[in-house]
Amino acid sequence: MKALGSSGWKGPVKFRMPTAENLVPIRLDIQSEGQRYKDAFTWNPSDPDNEVVVFAKRTVKDLKLPSAFITQIAQSIQSQLSDFRAYEGQDMYTGEKIIPIKLDLRVNHTLIKDQFLWDLNNFESDPEEFARTLCKDLGVEDPEVGPAVAFAIREQLYEIATQSVASAKESRLSKKSRRGSDHGSASKASGLSMDLVKLFSFKSSVVRKRKDLDVYEPVVDLLTSEEVDALEAREERHAR
Amino acid sequence: MEAIDSSAELELYTIPAQSSWFLWDDIHEIERREFEEFFSESSITRTPKVYKEYRDFIINKFREDTSRSLTFTSIRKFLVGDVNLLQKVFLFLDKWGLINFAPSLNDNDTLSSVDNAKIEQGTPAGIRVTATPNSLRPITAPPLVEQRTVSGIKLPPLTSYSDVFSDLKKPDDVLLCGHCAERCDSAFYQHNKSIVNLCEKCFKNGNYGGETNAAGDFKLVGDSAAAVWTEEETLLLLESVLKHGDDWELIAQSVSTKTRLDCISKLIELPFGEFLMGSTSGRLSSAVPTEDEDTEQVKTDGQEHEETEMREENEDEDGPPAKRKRVALISDSDSSLVKQVATMASKVGPSVATAAAKAAIAALCDEASCPKEIFDTGDYTDSTVDRADGDKDTDMEEQKEEKDGAQGLPVALRIKASVATALGAAAAQAKILADQEEREMEDLAATVIDQQLKKVQSKLKFLDQLELIMDAEEEVIEGGKETILQERISVLQCAFRSGVTKRWDHTYVK
Repeated sequence: MKALGSSGWKGPVKFRMPTAENLVPIRLDIQSEGQRYKDAFTWNPSDPDNEVVVFAKRTVKDLKLPSAFITQIAQSIQSQLSDFRAYEGQDMYTGEKIIPIKLDLRVNHTLIKDQFLWDLNNFESDPEEFARTLCKDLGVEDPEVGPAVAFAIREQLYEIATQSVASAKESRLSKKSRRGSDHGSASKASGLSMDLVKLFSFKSSVVRKRKDLDVYEPVVDLLTSEEVDALEAREERHAR
Repeated sequence: MEAIDSSAELELYTIPAQSSWFLWDDIHEIERREFEEFFSESSITRTPKVYKEYRDFIINKFREDTSRSLTFTSIRKFLVGDVNLLQKVFLFLDKWGLINFAPSLNDNDTLSSVDNAKIEQGTPAGIRVTATPNSLRPITAPPLVEQRTVSGIKLPPLTSYSDVFSDLKKPDDVLLCGHCAERCDSAFYQHNKSIVNLCEKCFKNGNYGGETNAAGDFKLVGDSAAAVWTEEETLLLLESVLKHGDDWELIAQSVSTKTRLDCISKLIELPFGEFLMGSTSGRLSSAVPTEDEDTEQVKTDGQEHEETEMREENEDEDGPPAKRKRVALISDSDSSLVKQVATMASKVGPSVATAAAKAAIAALCDEASCPKEIFDTGDYTDSTVDRADGDKDTDMEEQKEEKDGAQGLPVALRIKASVATALGAAAAQAKILADQEEREMEDLAATVIDQQLKKVQSKLKFLDQLELIMDAEEEVIEGGKETILQERISVLQCAFRSGVTKRWDHTYVK
């Protein structure tokens, strides 16, 4: 019979987004000729590369941006995609890793703060589905909030996944013995994962303690136009 | 908390009959199969104990107040663990009716999206795909394809059209906003249940006029000024679309009383509007109904409508119109015949329409025993194609000639021709529907076969496991046999050593 502690270790998997659909989060922030274009969306890395240029052209046309933006947008997207592809050939360790994901974002008039646990090992997870349920249950009407939430989740997952690739490289280089120690190193590397053994042991309950409830509760705020303007002005100042 | 126990308060909870397998104390086979990850001993965060805790907590939370519908987000904060897994458990319980199953609950969620007009795709309104009745799961209708709230395709009114009733209508009652008591000029929000109205400003500021009202209760009643399109405006719109193509700012300027969005939406509503937007060289300006008043002209215009639609479709290199147009049913019979013909012709592809027209005219001529040359059908189709390659100006001239020529035809025949065309188009549509149904039947058959296969596979799996168990048991028994044999041998040895020979001497005795 296996001891419960070491049974969480699984062999290394090829790098990919740990979600049901392997979509890459792409963030754009381009300034040129006095105009600024900020956007965030998900891209399917298995799309052919010429789609990037088509997308850039269409965006520039729809938003009536100067045509200098086309090349810049296409370049930015392509460099982020090639970063992703650079990770793709490598291994990442997917031991039992449940990490807290935090949301703190503002979309138009809606402000969302939330925190919840996400299992990196669950390759059937779906940020879009989660975002949809969140918006539906909380009665959020603005249709832009859902995708923004899904994007934020994806970004964080991407970051942690790339970190696990880096840590996998390190542990391979240092040539430690694998049995049992990788479980610890994989989870410690990110510094964020929870102490699973303690939480899920036979004696403790899975129901969260009362003092932690506030942290894990989603909060949605509707802002007035003045507050939105104030916040935007503050963000601009920070960006400079 | 037992559902039915011997305590003084008997609390009864309704669950669907298919879920009667559920027990508090145990985890049923259905749950084990659905949530294999909890029972495979492969991780420390997923154990049967954890699963049972999740499940019991969610059900208890629901039963605290069965009148309200439990949302995933409200219980998510209480449980430690991967939220995707929790959602899976939640959806499982919801599907089996162990939570959120009470007669007092109103299913508001599916209705909330009716306000947004959505495009109907796939099966037409009369056909609905349902689950097979043999499956274990409770039969639920798949989410209804959301219907278009805007009814069908509206044609611009014919010149003989006059709205007799609009004069009788009283001018709109002055609408006062429920909150700030000002006049609501154009767009205002109306409460779903009461007659409270709010002007746009108040709605945006969040003053909903009363504590109990929430944002979701209000429905936007559109801008009345923008909804009505007079003929002149439509004409202006079409001309400016031809002139400016895709540039909506300029179009909105030419059609001065309408905003950009109104222009776009009106153009989409027109049956040939999408072709205009797609084709780079529009040829339509002359075909829009002009100021002629007598009835003959009206009918000519109507037929021109149809012809120019067909011509447009011939020109359009994108191919036949989108599938959804083909499938939408022609429902109302109160619009004029020519309108209907035009509608049908616009829904069917160009080759189909011309074929239908040809067949219709042939049938008519046989019936009325008049020579086919009146209709000059060959020239119709060829010349329309030719004209498509031709110049815009010559186009207009030729079309004027044709109009004059067509006037020579008796009115009755023309009407018959249009009717026959309509019937031809309807036949084509019926075939398309039939094809679709066939495809759907194949789909369903494939699904059924799939399910059967899955059943067989799971049975095989089960048998495999049994076999493993049997093997293990066999080994144990073998081991048992060995030990017994060993023991016998040792007993024999002891006996031999101690010199007991009585039993084994019988061979010698003999």
